[in-house]
Amino acid sequence: MAVEHFPTARRYSVADIQVSREAVAAKPKVIANIIKKAKRPLLITGGQLLKDEKLVEIARKFAEKGIQIAATAGSSKVLIEKGVKPVCKTYTLHQITQFLLDDEFKGFDGKGKYDVVIFLGFIPYYLSRMLSALKHFSDVTTIAIEEFYHPHANFSFTNLTKDKEMYYSMLEEVLKEYG
Amino acid sequence: MFEIGKGVFVDELRNVSIRIKEIEEEEILEEVGPTPKPGILELRKWDHKLLERYEPFYAPVQDFCNLCTMGPCDLSFNKKGACGIDLRTAKARLVTIACCIGSASHTAHARHIVDHLIEQLGEDFPIDLGGEVNIKAPIIKTVIGIEPKTLGDLRKALEWVEKEIVKVLHSTHIGNEESYIDYESKSMHVSMADHVGMEVADIAQIVAFNFPKAEPNTPLVPTGFGIIDRSKPVIVVVGHNVMYSRPIVEVLEKQGKIDAFEIAGLCCTAHDIVRTNSKAKIFGPISYQLRVIRAGIPDVVVSDEQCIRADLLEACKKLGIPLIATSDAAARGLPDANDWSVEKIVESLISGKLPGVFLSDPEKVGIVAPIVAEAIFNKNGKNRKYRFFASDDEFRAEVSKCTQCMNCVFACPHNLRVDLGMAAAKRGEIRKLASLEEQCLACGKCEQVCPKNIKIINAIMFANFEKLYNKTGRTRVGRGPIQDTEIRKVGQPIVFGQIPGVIAAVGCINFPDEMKSIREILEEFLRRKFIVVTSGCHAMEIGMIKDEEGLTLYEKYPGLFDAGGLVNVGSCVANSHIAGAAIKIANIFAQRKLRGNYAEIADYILNRVGAVGFSWGPYSHKAASIATGFNRLGVPVVVGPHGVKYRRAYIGKPWKREKWWVYDIKSRQKVFIEPAPDCLLVAVETKEEAIVQLARLCIRPNDTAQGRQIKLTHYIELHKKYYGDLPDDWHLYVRTESDLPLKMREELLKVLEEVHGWKIDWNRRKILEGPIRSYDAGFNPTIVEEVYEKYVR
Repeated sequence: MAVEHFPTARRYSVADIQVSREAVAAKPKVIANIIKKAKRPLLITGGQLLKDEKLVEIARKFAEKGIQIAATAGSSKVLIEKGVKPVCKTYTLHQITQFLLDDEFKGFDGKGKYDVVIFLGFIPYYLSRMLSALKHFSDVTTIAIEEFYHPHANFSFTNLTKDKEMYYSMLEEVLKEYG
Repeated sequence: MFEIGKGVFVDELRNVSIRIKEIEEEEILEEVGPTPKPGILELRKWDHKLLERYEPFYAPVQDFCNLCTMGPCDLSFNKKGACGIDLRTAKARLVTIACCIGSASHTAHARHIVDHLIEQLGEDFPIDLGGEVNIKAPIIKTVIGIEPKTLGDLRKALEWVEKEIVKVLHSTHIGNEESYIDYESKSMHVSMADHVGMEVADIAQIVAFNFPKAEPNTPLVPTGFGIIDRSKPVIVVVGHNVMYSRPIVEVLEKQGKIDAFEIAGLCCTAHDIVRTNSKAKIFGPISYQLRVIRAGIPDVVVSDEQCIRADLLEACKKLGIPLIATSDAAARGLPDANDWSVEKIVESLISGKLPGVFLSDPEKVGIVAPIVAEAIFNKNGKNRKYRFFASDDEFRAEVSKCTQCMNCVFACPHNLRVDLGMAAAKRGEIRKLASLEEQCLACGKCEQVCPKNIKIINAIMFANFEKLYNKTGRTRVGRGPIQDTEIRKVGQPIVFGQIPGVIAAVGCINFPDEMKSIREILEEFLRRKFIVVTSGCHAMEIGMIKDEEGLTLYEKYPGLFDAGGLVNVGSCVANSHIAGAAIKIANIFAQRKLRGNYAEIADYILNRVGAVGFSWGPYSHKAASIATGFNRLGVPVVVGPHGVKYRRAYIGKPWKREKWWVYDIKSRQKVFIEPAPDCLLVAVETKEEAIVQLARLCIRPNDTAQGRQIKLTHYIELHKKYYGDLPDDWHLYVRTESDLPLKMREELLKVLEEVHGWKIDWNRRKILEGPIRSYDAGFNPTIVEEVYEKYVR
């Protein structure tokens, strides 16, 4: 069942107080539609997958739907164990962000630039900085499907910290709406 | 006064005074290189070379600039502000300012010590670092071009540093630099100056305070929260400049009372007080300041400078702990007691009339602190130590105030789930709350936002008290420099790659994970016979984490600068010996001249010395300048995820082939090379990622085939272990089949053929086509034109 009501997006210290443009706190359906319309979407997974099996499961389902995964911080290990073949395993989110900022970057498969990048399973303060770099210095559309609201993204889940089940159900809903 | 000029004949020397400005050294061992005492511009070309390959990456923390009154300016999306600066350049400026602060901190430390020591011992006091250290000041020699022999010589080096800090700081004023690349060059310049300042400070304190002089087997000293004998008065010293608190130990030794007191340190002063006297102890890093104070352990606190909580006085006041502030960098609003009698100072502190005093006379501090400690200890009935709450009931009452508003979670630097811990504790289950202690920085931001004013830190510490108390181990006392003889032994295997790398774990404790993660990361490399060097907060954190047998890494691995050795050089300023060791490799092993020859030495290190800096929890400005100084020297640095908040990194793009080239002096060709190392400054998120990145960044273009084989073996093994598969980029580092790990050669040749399309001669098991370049044992790489010209025949 679709999640109709969720908490208000809330800024917090580590994700920046002074933000010029805030992310749209988007519903799962909206996020799914953006990914559907993307020409070259990429899902980047972070180190929290090593601590949260549910996130591994979600990433696996994204892979099943044909979305490329760049696994960082060792998340490749748990994904590979689930049969996923990430397009990138070695580079850090920091490096991948640097690549995404470069118009000449043609993707990990050499087939072209990624236009929509989705982030799953990162430490909030680390991801926040990367989203800031992408916001200011690139035209990549960024989507944070994280437990914490990310003001620097273009689109973000709201703060779901208090209700992890709601967070998981929103992730499932993105996948369902994506089709 | 008559001054002798050229061609002036003096026939009578009556009423003539002769002014001799400076006598050049008669014994000149080495000719001076191209850049002695460099200004901002002299090494700019080298910086631009680095920055062309390792492109600056900016991650703004704020979208606005608030530095002048024309603002605030919204610089988002790289817009320009009122002064014309764009976001990228504004961030480069901010990093430059941070590096200036870091550099000024170490340099001021050096200035305090050098001036004090010259006043006491005279400027001719000799620099003697022991018989095994002939290259006494490799950084000063390489950067400034002098070989300091006395304290007076150190002061000359300091004068250069101070001048450069001022010039770089000037460039950050509104309306100066327009290029972010040039700001980066300036931040590298001031950070190189920082390394000189650190070297001055540590050499001065080693020679004058009789610290260990490059001895590998220094004593092991108790480290951690539970180190204190509750039945003794406790003197706690905190900060980074031991000059002020060292006399305490001297006085107590002289009085024969050293064993009747406990003297323990927080932050780098802890390292240096145990270098002074191994009867002192180490509590831990900055995150232990509130742990120690709120547990009522100190009977007096002596603070000096840097990385001390800005609410130290308030924290001490709440528990009636007198504070003696000693450094002019942090006078803490306290009255200046330097001219007061000892009796007056003691009486003011014991009676509680004053919460603290400012006392910068080290000798007086040495007399006052023990008297005050003893009196306060007695006054408190000798039994208040190690108490966060008076009783279990008080603890329960405190946690029951929690309303689960989650303000603490959003304020916490780690977003720790304090709410869940509190909720469970309310139900009588304290395990969740206790587990937060392992990661808690005890910064206190949670308490600032708690609407119920809950003493959250106390609650977390109380919940995990037993484990916290028992988290005590032993740290090997900082040894200072690396011996020339050690460098002679390991220089070749490091440059050729047989020793797979040097991991330098330095910096602060803003770890993203449990504290024990630092041990897990470093032990992976110690087991694999890398050299691990450490300093500062990392070095003391290692000293409190024990394995199942109750041993710390210091007790398991020797203190030698050799394969499988764990070397603690000492406090922050002792980081200079790590950079110094890299420089000494170029000199001792490769006979490269050092004096004023920075670019050549840095180029040598970048291409040949597989050393990588590692700061798992950086937070200070000093960490920014230390790292940036290493970067200019050609040493890549890996930082933990909080490191992204420095806003800038140096990250290369391995897929841009045109960026990865060198001049090969042997073949006289410009050669495209493997991207090694492919970053100069990069952040990682997890300990798994830290391990893999550190291993891959040890690879250097100059590795011999045997060396590359060893390095690739470790890299591939670690990648498989932690990432579950072969690395994406391993093939980039293969030049010949001899580079391949022996045990995996067959398997890897197949992958090269099938996945990467390389041509393999299967009869001879040889690579025929595919690598970026072929292997040549005489390969002699440089990216500096002048070095190429110098050595090409």
